Amino acid sequence: MNQITKIAWRNIWRNRVRSLVVIIALALGLWAGTFTSGFYEGMMKQKVDDVIQSELSHFQVHDTAFRDELIVTHFMEDATEIQRSIEQNSNVISTSGRVIATSMMASANKTGGVKLIGIDPEEEKRTTQLDQKLQEGAYFEGIKRNPILVSRKMAEEYKLKLRSKVVMTFQDLNGEIVASSFRVVGLYSSGNGMLDEVNAYARRSDLQGLIGLAPEQYHQVAVLIDDHQLAESIAGSYQEQHPHLEVLPWLDLAPGMRYMVEASGTFAYIIVAIILIALLFSVVNTMLMAVLERTREIGMLMAVGMNKSKVFFMIMLETLFLSLIGGPVGLLIAFGFIRYTGSQGIDLGAIGESYAEMGFSAVVYPQLGLSSYISITLMVLVMAILAAIYPARKALKLNPAEAVRKI
Amino acid sequence: MEQLVIETKNLSKIYEGAVEVRAVDNVDLQIQNGEFTAIVGPSGSGKTTLLNMIGGLDRPTSGSIRVNGVELSGMRENELIDFRLRHIGFVFQSYNLIPVLTARENTEFIMLMQNVDKALRNERVEKLLSEVGLSDKMDSRPSQLSGGQQQRVAVARALASKPDFVLADEPTANLDSKSTANLLDIMARLNRDEGTTFIFSTHDQRVIDRARRVITLVDGKIVSDEQR
Ligand SMILES: Nc1ncnc2c1ncn2[C@@H]1O[C@H](COP(=O)(O)OP(=O)(O)OP(=O)(O)O)[C@@H](O)[C@H]1O
Ligand SMILES: [Mg+2]
Repeated sequence: MNQITKIAWRNIWRNRVRSLVVIIALALGLWAGTFTSGFYEGMMKQKVDDVIQSELSHFQVHDTAFRDELIVTHFMEDATEIQRSIEQNSNVISTSGRVIATSMMASANKTGGVKLIGIDPEEEKRTTQLDQKLQEGAYFEGIKRNPILVSRKMAEEYKLKLRSKVVMTFQDLNGEIVASSFRVVGLYSSGNGMLDEVNAYARRSDLQGLIGLAPEQYHQVAVLIDDHQLAESIAGSYQEQHPHLEVLPWLDLAPGMRYMVEASGTFAYIIVAIILIALLFSVVNTMLMAVLERTREIGMLMAVGMNKSKVFFMIMLETLFLSLIGGPVGLLIAFGFIRYTGSQGIDLGAIGESYAEMGFSAVVYPQLGLSSYISITLMVLVMAILAAIYPARKALKLNPAEAVRKI
Repeated sequence: MEQLVIETKNLSKIYEGAVEVRAVDNVDLQIQNGEFTAIVGPSGSGKTTLLNMIGGLDRPTSGSIRVNGVELSGMRENELIDFRLRHIGFVFQSYNLIPVLTARENTEFIMLMQNVDKALRNERVEKLLSEVGLSDKMDSRPSQLSGGQQQRVAVARALASKPDFVLADEPTANLDSKSTANLLDIMARLNRDEGTTFIFSTHDQRVIDRARRVITLVDGKIVSDEQR
């Protein structure tokens, strides 16, 4: 009923300060909660983009046994052909064929395990932008025989400089140990400390020669496509066509990633839910006060003939109004804030360095998808309705005879 | 035209507690249409309890109440609320009005709940507020009105529902003597001109003097009932 809506609306402005406090608390709480969600979503999105674009690509193709036992004999017989057929798909941006050898790297100072990856510099540049990560030296230029790209971290540990010589030792196809010297052509840094510890890059053709592989035989083909969402379906359909290969989308290549991506979404909702539950109590508290204060008035309304459903509806509406003014305001501020920080970026400064160690970017660009806004809005609605029920029921418990007696 | 509006038989209200209180004790009472009746008695004599039971706000412990032949004691909560809405006008000592509504809206409120149509509502609101002398205060909120003016709006509101009778529990208790006289004038005139039945409780001798019938309660029993 129109009249009751009018009364409810005016009622919330009777105690202006109290209502504003609740509304502002709601707005601030939602702002904080929504922004936090945006922060995590942005951070995750960046991490995912980063992992895909500079590390995993969208999916990888191997011989079925390769990932279990990283040994050189599990190569793909006709990898060049596989590469070519994948590139037929219009969603595919580029592919990179790799030869991988688990190696020992020895310098004058240190000997240690390294994953030596044989790449085609052009393919790798297009697929993981390896050239962008170069910090010193040249991208496979200037050294004719066996150039190798090591991380800055390795360079420190092994005391290597540009043009330093290292000896790489690994197995060839016959199980024989091969030792060959390489010369440092450049130092890279990927932003992911864990990868920097192990990855070194050589030319694919050099490695194929040393291991005894033919030019069309690789261990791995990494594929970059134009849409994250399609990774699983394209990988899936390729897998179906090639049952003798193992085709794995990025989420399965790094099992931790899937968990992290899903957990961070849940985490953001938990934060919003906790904030909303706290706000729920403050809304309920405020409305209980309002109902208590108006015992006589509500008793009078029931005395003169306002029935229970109308009383219930009136108090429900008052509570809903309170929640639903603050809610959108908070969401709107959060939206603006996420938009702004999303374009400017938030520099985490000193904390950022430890994030960077874990492979997160030190500058976070918050962002929040429509679906998250919708979920948060629904959560606010549920909260508002839950908050409305108790005070409204409390109002119904009033006995009009006793209420008007207090007059 | 004499017609029975209210009839109670053996009406009792007993409050159980550490000591049992017989707030209303075996009251037989008949009120005719058009009466202007005061219920008087010392504090705690049961005036409010009696009026609340007659008004369907409170339930008797035993006995019956009939309003225009309809028995109230067996009604369910929601039936009672609806009965009050359609048959009984209330004026309380204070807190009669909805603070966020104007005099006009307060008077209209009852009719809105009765689903009276808009044209009729407007007409009645204006007529009633002019009868209580508040034509110029129609758009004022209760906080902008004096106590006497608020009680006059309450009378208009009580009449808006076209009730069978109006119950007023100490309607003048918070008013000064001038406002009291003014409110009584209005009630008496409505009673005389429109035939509205008023039943009110009071402590105030000047109010008692205006009543045409005075029922005196002591300890929940009617001790005297005089017509004037
Ligand atoms: N809820 C209750 N529980 C117990 N006793 C009650 C209750 N309400 C009223 N009484 C008692 O019932 C008796 C009648 O009270 P009531 O309010 O009807 O008197 P009253 O004549 O209206 O008094 P007053 O002139 O002070 O308004 C009193 O003794 C009162 O203490
Ligand atoms: Mg009383």
